[in-house]
Amino acid sequence: MEIKSNLSKIVGAANFSDDPAKLQAYATDFSYYPAGAPSYVAKPSSSEEVSEVIKVCNQNKTPVVPCSSKVHFYGATIPKEGGLVLDLSRMDKVLEIDADNRRVRLEAGVTWEKLTTELKKKGFRVIMPLTPPAERSVLTDFMEREEPTNQVYDYGEPLEAMEVVWPTGEIFRMGSASVNGYPDSASKGGNPSGPGLDFYRFFQCAQGTMGVVTWTNLKIESIPKIDKVLFAPIDELDYANDFLHRILPRRIGQEVLLLNNVDLAAILAQDWPSDFDKLKASLPPWTLILVISGLLRRPEEKIAYEENFLAQVLKAEFSTLKLGETLPGFPGISKKVLQILRNPWPANTPHWKNRVEGASQSLFFHARPANAQYFANMVREIAAEFGYPGDDIGMYIQPIEHNRACRPEFTFFYDPADEAEKAIIRELYKVAAAELLKEGAVFTRPYGDLAPIVYEKAASYAIHLKRLKKVFDPNNIMNPSNLCF
Amino acid sequence: MAISKEIYNALEAIVGAQYISDDPVICEGYRSGPGGYENGLGYERVMTTIPACVIMPRTTEEVQRIVKVCYRNDIPYVPYSTGFYGPRSHPHVEDALLIDLKRMNDFVLDEKHFYVEVGPGMVYSPIQEECMQHGAYVVIGGGGAQASAIANLIGDGWSPLSHRIGLPHRRILGTEVVMPDGEVLRMGSLATSDDPFWGECPGPDLRGLLRGYTGLRGCLGIVTRMAIKTLPFQPERLVPTGISPNTALALPEKRVKWINFIMPSKETQVKSMREIGHAEIGGAVTKVPLFWRAIAKAECKEEFWDLWGKENEETVANFFIVRVLLIGFTSEEQMAYDEAVLMDIMTELGGQARRTKPSDESWIKNADSAGMWLMCGGYVSVDYVIETLSQSPDHGPSYAELKKKYTPPLMPDYGDPGWFQSFELGHQGYSEFLVYWDQDDDTDKVDQFYVDTSKMNIKNRFYTSLLGPHQPLYLTGPKYGPNYHEFLLKVKDEFDPKWKCHPPVPLAHDVFVERAPWMHFMKDWESPDDLPK
Amino acid sequence: MADQLPIRYYKPKADFKFDITDIQNFVYDMSRCIKCKGCTWVEHTYMPGTKYMTRCPSAAKFEFDSYGAYGKMRIGHAMAEGLLDWNEKALEIMYACTLCGACDVGCKRNLDLEIELTLESLRVKAVKDGVGPMPAHKKLAENIASTHNMYGAPHDKRTAWIPEGVSLAKKADVLYFVGCTASYVNKEIAQSTAKILTAAGTQFMLMPDEWCCGNTPFSVGLIDQAKALAQRNVEEVRKTGAKTILLSCAEGYRMWKVDYPKLLNISTDDLGFKVVHLVEYADEKVKSGALKMKNPFESRLTYHDACSISRLSDPWTPYEGKRGWMGCVEPRLQRRRGTQGLYAQPRDILKAIPGVNLVEMPRTRENSFCCGAGRGTQEAYPDFAKWAAAQRLEEVREIGAETLVSSCPWCKNNFAQAVKAGGDVQVLDISEVICRSIEG
Repeated sequence: MEIKSNLSKIVGAANFSDDPAKLQAYATDFSYYPAGAPSYVAKPSSSEEVSEVIKVCNQNKTPVVPCSSKVHFYGATIPKEGGLVLDLSRMDKVLEIDADNRRVRLEAGVTWEKLTTELKKKGFRVIMPLTPPAERSVLTDFMEREEPTNQVYDYGEPLEAMEVVWPTGEIFRMGSASVNGYPDSASKGGNPSGPGLDFYRFFQCAQGTMGVVTWTNLKIESIPKIDKVLFAPIDELDYANDFLHRILPRRIGQEVLLLNNVDLAAILAQDWPSDFDKLKASLPPWTLILVISGLLRRPEEKIAYEENFLAQVLKAEFSTLKLGETLPGFPGISKKVLQILRNPWPANTPHWKNRVEGASQSLFFHARPANAQYFANMVREIAAEFGYPGDDIGMYIQPIEHNRACRPEFTFFYDPADEAEKAIIRELYKVAAAELLKEGAVFTRPYGDLAPIVYEKAASYAIHLKRLKKVFDPNNIMNPSNLCF
Repeated sequence: MAISKEIYNALEAIVGAQYISDDPVICEGYRSGPGGYENGLGYERVMTTIPACVIMPRTTEEVQRIVKVCYRNDIPYVPYSTGFYGPRSHPHVEDALLIDLKRMNDFVLDEKHFYVEVGPGMVYSPIQEECMQHGAYVVIGGGGAQASAIANLIGDGWSPLSHRIGLPHRRILGTEVVMPDGEVLRMGSLATSDDPFWGECPGPDLRGLLRGYTGLRGCLGIVTRMAIKTLPFQPERLVPTGISPNTALALPEKRVKWINFIMPSKETQVKSMREIGHAEIGGAVTKVPLFWRAIAKAECKEEFWDLWGKENEETVANFFIVRVLLIGFTSEEQMAYDEAVLMDIMTELGGQARRTKPSDESWIKNADSAGMWLMCGGYVSVDYVIETLSQSPDHGPSYAELKKKYTPPLMPDYGDPGWFQSFELGHQGYSEFLVYWDQDDDTDKVDQFYVDTSKMNIKNRFYTSLLGPHQPLYLTGPKYGPNYHEFLLKVKDEFDPKWKCHPPVPLAHDVFVERAPWMHFMKDWESPDDLPK
Repeated sequence: MADQLPIRYYKPKADFKFDITDIQNFVYDMSRCIKCKGCTWVEHTYMPGTKYMTRCPSAAKFEFDSYGAYGKMRIGHAMAEGLLDWNEKALEIMYACTLCGACDVGCKRNLDLEIELTLESLRVKAVKDGVGPMPAHKKLAENIASTHNMYGAPHDKRTAWIPEGVSLAKKADVLYFVGCTASYVNKEIAQSTAKILTAAGTQFMLMPDEWCCGNTPFSVGLIDQAKALAQRNVEEVRKTGAKTILLSCAEGYRMWKVDYPKLLNISTDDLGFKVVHLVEYADEKVKSGALKMKNPFESRLTYHDACSISRLSDPWTPYEGKRGWMGCVEPRLQRRRGTQGLYAQPRDILKAIPGVNLVEMPRTRENSFCCGAGRGTQEAYPDFAKWAAAQRLEEVREIGAETLVSSCPWCKNNFAQAVKAGGDVQVLDISEVICRSIEG
């Protein structure tokens, strides 16, 4: 077929396949979504190749499903209408590390493992979500807005200027990287915004439906000189929230998060299932984890003023909160947790979410912190209706920026080989999502089943989205049947 | 008169007779110039006119109905919050309806969740005061405390405080827009509820339509409601003192302090900003043009010129100041830590602290832009761009160099290289270049300089804020992206196919070049034959 | 100076004067308004929050930009250039305004534009063009011409306010100029003032034949009548040999101190006598011990700064010069920016009274919101005056004050009328408050 030969010519025969066996790898992911087989896979090595591939697909109205890594939990890269999987894993270069401006420029295929290692050599890090898989694309995580565990920076997201290929094949640089001749330019790509419109916003949480992001600039931070990981056992989420409302606006801490016993047990456990069961039984209902750090200069003094402040607040206002460097009953946890928070989840270990029962489905959204407990109770009740024990739900609350909001995440674990169980989880997920949405939960990443639920409520938004999509992807080739497209 | 009696009556029925007028004297009151931002120039004379009718809605529903009436009847309309931004905020075509949004000034403050919710009529200084009474603060954009917060957040929106707070785009939460055809678009958490606390949208983020580094100048809809992030401040009160014109906020010295440093060289000046960013301290870090110091000292225009007349190329070239604002967000101890780290850096680099007044005259509550007009009467910033500290310190000098060709009528400033500062804790840099003129002079060369800066940026591969509607779109478009203009125009065509929302923006500067004979020789780029006339 | 630089600039030099009879003197000012609306907003440093954001009653009431100074400057500019004609709206825009000076002071925080003079000049232009002033003003002017007072009341009843126990000197260093309102309407102010002078041991006289100061005719553009009154009144005072003229009316104070010199093209210093308001006098006497605040006044009380003794009260110096390069003026001039307002004196007086709990409104001093009555506004736009007073009373209630004190009969009457319905705030002139405390 002409399209096959064209694509093959563009990326090279070794990087093109229509072999069903090879294509199977792209047909499923860690989510419960049914398999969807692509017709071809192409692995470009450059933006020019991406551009050429997309032009060919556009001419032929062939769907294109961009895929940056092979680790996916949400079903977004499962082809829903066949077509081409555009596997960007060969585009795995860390293009620049700019220490002066604390900036890294990286291609879509760069994994957490690769980036963390490269940056560490120069004393830098990127703020990370919780346990990103080592083989997962860093760029994708930031484009899809995985919430970092480090919320201390007032300026918010680390994304800077990026390059994309539009669904009609044009290579387009955005933000301050848009200058002609970039990167050989005075402008280094520090500003993601513009030119003309904030096009980069259209690509966020787009699941590849607006085009392909080929590389991006990201902010990098220095690795702290000293870290202290603090823990507090928590019974009442509201009490923890009051504490966070008190300390986070004071710019205390680096990483801060709340994990329930199930999630924390799964993260810490080494021997399965014994460790997990033991930990789950003995960990407190919730654990607040707060990392305070000394930075490049006078690190001890920074730790000191944060500790002093915490001590005063705890004594005067939160005397029953036991925040300390240890978690009673769990020796050595501090070092372990710091390791976990600052590194991707190792590739040679199944992701903790998949270790409990084999597979999992996470329901996450944004909410006001005061509602976290309420939502947790709601999810437990709904789960119970489906026969899923409330005590087996993994829960993770990510406080956000001064505790202005939070991101609750509820994870349901199931045996992927058990189709009946999978179906129940799927129903439970949908019902819970619909109820949460009704009560004000904000879903900004409407993967799979969430999409129709969310877009029904956000009907006007969906209409405008579709109008925008028409402008850039008139043939609707980019990852069709996702979101509202 | 294009706004016929029938249509006037339809509009009047929406807002009530008290809030609409087509009286010629009322409309004259809405003229852009001849004074003001970017006024007294060719662009203003050639491209702006007074509205045929002015209407003042109070609610989103009223705005929606007004826009629908306009769209149905092909009436061009222009959204207007304060009109401070100069000609670009005023009607560019005859018989336009000016929608004055000042009555939409509702205000809600959520102390715990650090945001405020406002309408387009609410300006910055009341917001800042309310925030500070509730433990928070915002960036008052360089446009000044008199700028509408919404208009500023979709167009500009930075100040030295952005060293910590960052890009204004990231502060936009739930937002509501009446699109050019009258449909309402709700973004962020407003897409699915009435709670505006969260800014990200379901899936692709249509907040991308609001601005594109700088704004679209109101040609892609009217923002009627926006929740804006506030940032936690420190608890001590900043007390207003003095009597106009010498008012200031007295700073609680153990929690808020400005320190001015004289640096030995430009290299150390830039390095200090970098180091401060790397050390992750400070609430603001900036370097401003030397003539601002003269403005601050001068009690009148003539005194400014006395002071400024004492400077020369050498004094200007050797003026290496770094102003640092320390804020004790956590505690007095934290502020002491910040200061100790700052002094370490300055010791390393040879920076000398100068006696600094324990007050803030400008940035925290006033963002004193109105003083910019003192010297000459005319003023515009020909760039205000966020990039990195690799671009920013070199950007100004290239303007200073180009400016020599155009002085006069531009104000003599002995080659002052403009303003730059650290942004987002040194991850980014900022540069701004300001020019001044007397509008009674022959200002053709100011118009020419303005477009020439665009060419200079293209040639030198600088990112610039003056893209989109600010410069000829067909000049900048091919050179950034490339071809960002094509995508921008496609989006405009999709959402405003009749081009009734503030026409002919975003092509206004292209039209200006076509219309103004003194600009013709500058046109060395292609543009289509069907440009609006 | 920069005009000695080798660079050539094009601007020719132009003559101008601070002479409000010719609007061309203010074309520069009108053409340089930057629409920052600093004339309308409370000065940003002092901005009290989202509730009391503005200090221009006209802009706040009528809301179209055209009613704020930025609108008026543009409209005035078009008129001065012969490009726009007067109509009803234009008259309302120019006259529904108390000329309170908030715009002038607000603008001058950052710039050198003469907004107040421009507005006065536009009113003179309205009269010259045959369209102004408003009918109510014409009536008032006729009254003054025939009975020497605004009310058309019998001239020979002007001194009927004089109470028992107050002796007037035939000749004294201090001349108390009572004014029409205190003479005929607010006699309590005149009587209190007289008692205060007496209690402090100050001998004082009245004008042998006191006529209206001409505040309203001047303010509405009837420049000829105002000038004639100025000439006559100044001459009569000079004849008395008074060293100081004391007023209890803020508007009168401003007329004598600022606008008489303006009309006569002399400086305040050249009047030949000092112009003093009661609050200046009383403050001095309290501090020297001559006035003893014996009787307590138990009240949560606030003070309203009358515009004419605050923003508008800087002394006058005539100016004539050239405007040249970049708009710089030669010779150098010390602009009146409203920095010499009488803010401390009334507050010190009130604080000296035992039992007074003085609280400030959100908008104070140069940020005060005008009562709405002055300079011709109440006569021509009574609803607007009432509205402005009601706005200000909201502030009074917001801070829980039960007594509102001011230093001008115009303020007192306008507030008192606005309170009538509610009756929850006691409105007093400072002369009455002082008098109560020193009596007995």
